[in-house]
Amino acid sequence: MKLLIVEDNADLLDNIVTYLEREGYICETAEDYDTAFHKIMSFTYDVVLIDLMLPGGDGLQVLREQKSVNPETGTIIISAKNSLDDKVTGLELGADDYLTKPFQLAELHARIKAVNRRNNLGGSEIVRVQEIAIHTKAREVKVDGKVVDLTPKEYDLMLYFASNKNHVLSKQTIAEHLWGDYADQLDNLDFVYQHIKNLRKKLVNAGANDYIESVYSIGYKLNTSKKVS
Amino acid sequence: MKLITKFILIYLMVSAVVLGIGGVISYYVIKDEIDKEMKWEFLERIDRATYLLEQGKRFRHHRTVDGDENLTIQKLDYFAEPRVEVSDTLIWDERLEQEELNVRVSAYRTIGDSSYYISTYGNMIESDDIREAVVQILLWILGLQVIGAVGIGFLVSGPLFKPFRNTLDRIRNFKLNEKEYLPAEKTNVKEFADLNQFVEEMTQKAVRDYKNLKEFAENASHEIQTPLAIAKGNLELLAETDLSEEQYRHVIKLEKTVKKLSRLSESLALLTKIENHEFDNDQEVNLSELVKEGIDAFREFIELNQLEVETDIQDGVIINMHPVLADIFWTNLFQNAIRHNIDQGKIKVELTEEKLRISNTGEELDSPPDELFQRFRKGNPNSESIGLGLAIIKRIADQNDLSVSYEHKNAWHHIEITLKGVKRG
Repeated sequence: MKLLIVEDNADLLDNIVTYLEREGYICETAEDYDTAFHKIMSFTYDVVLIDLMLPGGDGLQVLREQKSVNPETGTIIISAKNSLDDKVTGLELGADDYLTKPFQLAELHARIKAVNRRNNLGGSEIVRVQEIAIHTKAREVKVDGKVVDLTPKEYDLMLYFASNKNHVLSKQTIAEHLWGDYADQLDNLDFVYQHIKNLRKKLVNAGANDYIESVYSIGYKLNTSKKVS
Repeated sequence: MKLITKFILIYLMVSAVVLGIGGVISYYVIKDEIDKEMKWEFLERIDRATYLLEQGKRFRHHRTVDGDENLTIQKLDYFAEPRVEVSDTLIWDERLEQEELNVRVSAYRTIGDSSYYISTYGNMIESDDIREAVVQILLWILGLQVIGAVGIGFLVSGPLFKPFRNTLDRIRNFKLNEKEYLPAEKTNVKEFADLNQFVEEMTQKAVRDYKNLKEFAENASHEIQTPLAIAKGNLELLAETDLSEEQYRHVIKLEKTVKKLSRLSESLALLTKIENHEFDNDQEVNLSELVKEGIDAFREFIELNQLEVETDIQDGVIINMHPVLADIFWTNLFQNAIRHNIDQGKIKVELTEEKLRISNTGEELDSPPDELFQRFRKGNPNSESIGLGLAIIKRIADQNDLSVSYEHKNAWHHIEITLKGVKRG
């Protein structure tokens, strides 16, 4: 998958590129409005990440141009402003998602996958983790062809793990993914543990291997290289 | 005391003193003038008597010349230098039955070869009468001055001081966060024009400084998010490397700190935005729906915390508020009730047209309840909360003329928002 990352902060850009390249993405970057404009005009991308505040221009303008040149390309706005107006304007202009700084790279990655799925794969994709298959259109998880009965939160959790295979995800990250802003305010992260415990139990009961492992009981990791027992 | 009252009082006080002194002077001047006139009159009489004597007329000891009963003519048996003496003398007044001060003029005259003593006395006006007249005149003057002063007072406090009072009213109604300075109003009184000019410049500067400060606060809280994003990203990349448990725990702690910092600056930005009136266009908000949906959104957290929620929500309670603010308001209130609850605690939500009351079980407070609404006040200093939740609630309430009260009774915390008198659609 080919990405364009429009972000003026070199350090943040470096972070994003490092993380995404490890996932096998081809990342191109633009640090200002003009570069972004030229790249959008010259090349086609699957997903474009746009920072709203750019030297030499407005990120929303980049978004407008992207949409006019190539409406199929997925677009995600990254902004330091958690302002409703910007969010609404961005989404009205056709941005597919809006992410507020500071974000988790794992979260960004999950969103990129979701946006790509929606825009380029017509929303239907089967994400496979060994014997586990996630059918994104039906929002179902199947193990060896059999549907596993998951709650919506457990499904989200499974997809999140699958999107970030072999990455360590802290409870905090998971909570933010599942509950968004609500998670900010709550001190106790035990409910993350509860959900993961249930998900693992259901998967194992359905005959799958237990790929989700605890990392020092602080974080979790979907370890696909785990030996099949 | 009003300036004009004070001014009039001082004016009247000075007038009274001046009039008092003036009265004494007038009394003496008038008396002196009368005495002088009488002296001339008496001298003339004496001259007339002298003339008659020179013509060879002879008088008895007491003799009336031209109706002057007090005239005394006495032939002296010794030689006296001709001279005139003027003196004051007390004479018994039959009519008033008291001694009256009279003027006596006595003259020694030489007629032929003998000396005569000719004397007369009298008074034209009694000194009491002069005093009375003077006092009466002064009282009249004083009375007229009082009337004049009060009249001026009305004039001054009315039309003359109008520009001043206008300016005062405008300063009183001046609100810094409305970002409107007070332009100088035209007036032809120099002092007031100066004042208005000064007020204009001062408010302009205040508004500018305030705006800069607010912009700085808002920008700072936005600008801080990018470095935080970098920190967060690097921590995530660090977590991907092969870390020991101890190292990983440090990373997680740092992640939490970064998250907290970001929340802190977001909340501060929100407070600034509310203070900057960025949420001013009110719309009708169905509070009943908002509360119900809000509780549903937290259903999972309520269950995980094993809390029991009791609701008594009246349908169709509509208030006028910015929808985003209403949402933040309710979310903060309810989160507060969940966060500061105890295990297997309870939450009660009561909503009527008059009030919204949210009660929760919880631990004792260490700090006085009023302080809770201040920024960075926390019941428990070690909690993960950033201590801005209640400050945001208070700020939103203030902005929308809602009154918030807090009460702690029998291990229950109650927060009540009075909706009475709130603007409705």
